[in-house]
Amino acid sequence: MSEGGRADAGPGLRGWLEERTGVSLILDLAHKKTVPLHRHTIWYYLGGMTLFLFTIQVATGILLLLYYRSSSDEAFESIQFIMTKVPFGWLIRSIHSWSANLLVFVLFVHMFSVFFLKAYRRPRELTWVTGALLLFVMLAFGFSGYLLPWNTLAFFATQVGTEVAGSVPGMGRFMLRFLRGGEHVTGGTLTRFYGIHVAVLPALTTALLLLHLLLVQRHGMSRPPGQNEGRTMPFVPNFLLRDCIGWCVALGLLAALAALFPWELGTKADPFAPAPAGIRPEWYFGWMFQTLKLLPGHVLGIEGELIGIFAFGVGGLLFVLAPFLDRSQEKRRVSLGFTVAGAIVIAYMAVMTVLVYLPGKP
Amino acid sequence: MAAGPLLALLLLAEPVAAKDTTPRTDTSCVSCHGQIDAEMVGALANDVHFQKGLSCHDCHGGNPASGIDDPALAHDKKKGWTGKPSRLQVPGLCARCHADAAFMKRFNPHLRVDQLSEYRTSVHGKKNAEGDPRPAICVDCHGVHGIRAVSDPRSSVYPTNLAPTCARCHASADVMKPYNLATNQYESYRTSVHAKALHDKGDLSAPTCNDCHGSHGAVPPGVGAVANVCGSCHGREATLFRETEAKKKMDLSLCIQCMVCHDNHAVQPPKPEMLGVGPQSTCTGCHSPGDPEYQMAADMANAAATLRERLATAKDTLDRAERAGMEVSADRFALQEGQNKLVEVRVLTHSFDRERFLAAAGEGTAVADGGIAAGRRAFRELRNRRLGLGVSLLVILAVITGLYLKLRQIEKA
Amino acid sequence: MSRRKFLDWFLGTSVGAMCASVLYPIFRYLVPPDVPEAQTNRAVAAREGDLKPNESKVFPFGSQPAILIRGADGTYHAFSATCTHLNCTVQYRGDLRQIWCACHNGFYDLAGANVSGPPPRPLEQFTVHVTEGEIVVSKS
Repeated sequence: MSEGGRADAGPGLRGWLEERTGVSLILDLAHKKTVPLHRHTIWYYLGGMTLFLFTIQVATGILLLLYYRSSSDEAFESIQFIMTKVPFGWLIRSIHSWSANLLVFVLFVHMFSVFFLKAYRRPRELTWVTGALLLFVMLAFGFSGYLLPWNTLAFFATQVGTEVAGSVPGMGRFMLRFLRGGEHVTGGTLTRFYGIHVAVLPALTTALLLLHLLLVQRHGMSRPPGQNEGRTMPFVPNFLLRDCIGWCVALGLLAALAALFPWELGTKADPFAPAPAGIRPEWYFGWMFQTLKLLPGHVLGIEGELIGIFAFGVGGLLFVLAPFLDRSQEKRRVSLGFTVAGAIVIAYMAVMTVLVYLPGKP
Repeated sequence: MAAGPLLALLLLAEPVAAKDTTPRTDTSCVSCHGQIDAEMVGALANDVHFQKGLSCHDCHGGNPASGIDDPALAHDKKKGWTGKPSRLQVPGLCARCHADAAFMKRFNPHLRVDQLSEYRTSVHGKKNAEGDPRPAICVDCHGVHGIRAVSDPRSSVYPTNLAPTCARCHASADVMKPYNLATNQYESYRTSVHAKALHDKGDLSAPTCNDCHGSHGAVPPGVGAVANVCGSCHGREATLFRETEAKKKMDLSLCIQCMVCHDNHAVQPPKPEMLGVGPQSTCTGCHSPGDPEYQMAADMANAAATLRERLATAKDTLDRAERAGMEVSADRFALQEGQNKLVEVRVLTHSFDRERFLAAAGEGTAVADGGIAAGRRAFRELRNRRLGLGVSLLVILAVITGLYLKLRQIEKA
Repeated sequence: MSRRKFLDWFLGTSVGAMCASVLYPIFRYLVPPDVPEAQTNRAVAAREGDLKPNESKVFPFGSQPAILIRGADGTYHAFSATCTHLNCTVQYRGDLRQIWCACHNGFYDLAGANVSGPPPRPLEQFTVHVTEGEIVVSKS
């Protein structure tokens, strides 16, 4: 054994690795980690589930990009090729599409559970902030990925979405041109969205996710307000085995959805055709879309849509800064106001989402 | 003074740059008549004769020298002035140039020079020669002072404008009454597939009045000539029809041929119901139950119906398979051959040959059956996928069970 | 075998089976299919020697029919086989050395130009390359 290394790193392969990487430090931390046991423990599984689904996205995404072509001439056909000619291509593509939706859903539930359990309180404010930013990044993944098949619905949904971005006063025009790669949605938009989807956003995610997970390990699992002591469960193996069961269930669900409800391809986008009726963004943008539709044309001389966008902007900011706004820890009181606000937001989002899909005047 | 701007307008007429083909705007005719009848002189700017350098005196005679103010001097009979020609004189007047090959070659070597002799074979021409001024003469269709070339889309006899030009007289009850002619031809034609192709879709290869009736020798095709006329475009159908005559030793020249089943003016896209023995069939007009032809019509209609049905089933099966995510584009392409066979079968109706028809329909049905089989294969593959899913779900269930039991084991300890 | 050992075995085997059922499709997916890309812009129409001079073949190109013609002098021509008049599928007439549409007697020459009958436009022409014994047709 060389001098200067750890005196006794252990025998065999483990010892060899230990001497070079010091991996036992991490294993020790893992073995020491505990999870609080109480009636809300079940919500703790959601972070890991989100991570699992994101991993599925990365894996299936990498597989897809081995065959996908990001030009407007070939994008649609390349996905058709994947669905019909590549062995199990239908499975990889459908899992990627279904898992994306599941990921966003689980992410929202994770976020709301953290909110209602007040896990953002000091000293976990930065964990919340990185998590909030991750949520925006995941929504951006959804928006950019939606365009990639270059089908009619995606084309027009992107047109509407970037149009909304363009109506922000001041930087709106710049944002629209930046997103679209020009004045209109074209093949240039597709290439740009692809680059954003497979390079820019993954890079952002890597940084934010690393921070988020490090902070979670640093502070350990938070306890709900009023419960400062209590029973715990070892993370390894008890919580982890339960996590694995959850992940297996998710895997089975994805396989079933992919095989029984394969994701549709639609028709190839024709930029010169008129927009078909019933253009909608993905369901997780539905509530914002519905809000903008319901706002009156003008309110006190300002365009209704602008007010909506402004409200979303302010809402987003409040969302990211929530830990700093909740003064309850100073007052050592559970902030009922925040809980109620959160409940109202959920109810609003749910109702607006349902309204998008109700038949009747759009 | 309307002459000034009118002269300017005439000068703007597209001139053909040749030494003696510049428009003549300096004649005495134009300077006087420009003030009397500005519209008539203004129309000359569009006239192909005027653009090529011909002027009023070339048709009407007289003294065109500029500066002449006195009508008597301008309308000089010694210089050939004929005034406004009568309707009986017009064909001969136009033919003075248009039937002269040497003269016409100077302007357009492609133009035909037999219009007058054709015209004299037509009902219009015959009656005109007999002294009836009412039927159409050259200027009725081509215009008189603003005559555009036939190839000019603004010309009254350009294919898309021709039918309304004929209809000016032939759809007017007043004009047709003395001759006891029907006036519904334009209306009928306008509902036809030919009119829709020409007028609505702009397909210049679709026929209008003159394609079947002739331009100058306008006469309805003789009874025996209908198949030839329709066959000038619908060659295959006409050939098959003619073969029938020889094979069945029939003389079809006494019947109206194509018009028996298809109208003459209101030709519609043929419907499948026209073949067979059903209520909308055209066969039963002549053939009654008990005729061998009646049975043949029924057999042919059944074979065609089977083909259509199987093709529809095949297409539907492949559509459903594709919606379920299966690969079917190669099978769809193979099905196209069945569609081609269906077109061929419909053409073979005109052979009135049961064996030939049934053979082609059989080939098409075989292709359709291939498509149905391909669709079924796709669904089998889909079932296999579901089987695979079932197996993997069982495996996952096993893992979940194992994990759960392991957990229980650990936590009991 | 003790219960513990059985459970360990059962868990291990089923996890192994699950890994296999995940890795098998991925492995099959990574192996490229026979046709490496979607045939929208490029298709193998025939092999050398399939067509004798003055013969033709209709083949799928993307989702539309196309026609490959080997002229009497041996050179290959390829066109869209959809007639520009009313979309019937055209065919090659070796006796006339022209492309013929049976529906309304339209004719095209071997440059694709509409020379007689109702077709209003020439046939779309494709580029032909002969590589490694294959006749490859691609969009110009």
